[in-house]
Amino acid sequence: MTALQDSQSPSTSEGMGLFERFLTVWVALAIVAGVLLGQFAPAVPETLSRFEVAQVSIPVAILIWAMIFPMMAQIDFAAVLGVRRQPKGLIITTSVNWLIKPFTMFAIAWFFLMILFRPFIPEELARQYLAGAILLGAAPCTAMVFVWSYLTRGDAAYTLVQVSLNDLIMLFAFAPIVVFLLGISNIQVPWDTVALSVFLYIVIPLAAGYTARRTLIARNGAEWYDNVFMKRVGPITPIGLIITLVLLFAFQGDVIIGNPLHIVLIAIPLIIQTVLIFFIAYGWAKAWKVPHNVAAPGAMIGASNFFELAVAAAIALFGLQSGAALATVVGVLVEVPLMLALVRIANKTRHHFPAAGEARG
Amino acid sequence: MAIAISDNARSWIERNGGVLTVRLSSRHGCCGGGVDIAVAEARTPSDLKHYRELDLDGLKLFIAPALIDQGLVVEVEGLLGLKHLFVDGAPIARRRD
Repeated sequence: MTALQDSQSPSTSEGMGLFERFLTVWVALAIVAGVLLGQFAPAVPETLSRFEVAQVSIPVAILIWAMIFPMMAQIDFAAVLGVRRQPKGLIITTSVNWLIKPFTMFAIAWFFLMILFRPFIPEELARQYLAGAILLGAAPCTAMVFVWSYLTRGDAAYTLVQVSLNDLIMLFAFAPIVVFLLGISNIQVPWDTVALSVFLYIVIPLAAGYTARRTLIARNGAEWYDNVFMKRVGPITPIGLIITLVLLFAFQGDVIIGNPLHIVLIAIPLIIQTVLIFFIAYGWAKAWKVPHNVAAPGAMIGASNFFELAVAAAIALFGLQSGAALATVVGVLVEVPLMLALVRIANKTRHHFPAAGEARG
Repeated sequence: MAIAISDNARSWIERNGGVLTVRLSSRHGCCGGGVDIAVAEARTPSDLKHYRELDLDGLKLFIAPALIDQGLVVEVEGLLGLKHLFVDGAPIARRRD
């Protein structure tokens, strides 16, 4: 074990700034601001919605690119070369992310939204919420996991490899998984619409991020890229997210005012799914004697969602006013407090796992 | 020793100029905030004042002071002839602001 790994897990206040610790509060405020905007200044969202090209809203597309580009610009695809390292950790998290999580999300959300909550949610709206849950389940987190990994004293090299691998798989697997699960939910989305949204909100930001990374590092050096460029560009993601939410809720005002309970009802299956996936990955890692500095970030990567992509895909496929878009936003609302609770569980159970060096994950 | 280097990594660095930089690279969270990750590269850093320069048995090492004597190991890995360096044993660090 290294000197750095000997130290205690960092506290939440040390590991996260004011904005990210209270993301739930900012999201709630964005919901209120959006609803007020929609109710008292409806001309603003109506005017913005008129700027469309080929049925793609230009203001929304700009906001979504602002959210996703910085995340893509920091992906180091060379890290995928380490795929043979920590094989147990990579097998567990990759299997959980792509073979288990999308399907448990579908099953749990379907059971709660379509069966258990049938008396409270009209069927068509419940199907829309189910679509949002499916989009959340098919997009694993690619950026915030570095913070979760830090808070659990995770292995940096493993986290980098796992995130790069997930980003590569997401390029090819996101659309087929979404189309398949929407299909068995009787939600018909044309393939060309899905392909367009994947092209617009995954391929374009990914290609732009990769090109920017290669070009700017070659021109100005890696330190400049990390310490100047990314420091300026990185904060755009949460700003883009909050503005997108304000705009989204300017269109969703009537739904929220008419059915405030729906936010709670959507949150229940999302929370259960996140906790379940965490324990599947964490328990699997325990059974395979994976060291804690791989088991904890692996379970965090398994459990958390790339909600910017889910929000973007929901808007692209179903529109700003859709129930699917609302459901993905509920994912944003619960993400940080829930993941911090899982961080605490991971840190309190550290002693049940081998330390780094005692086992190879 | 400030940082250990595996035999394979040493050979690879020697074949690629004999210079090693070990530094912290920022990663941003999508909800805000961020962390630093230790990375290793076979090149001279652009701004030398942020590094300690050491001679490591013939290799020229530039290392960020925060990473010295932390028991870290520089390794090389790759697939199909593509190779890159990585720092083994490093946890993720709080971002320097």
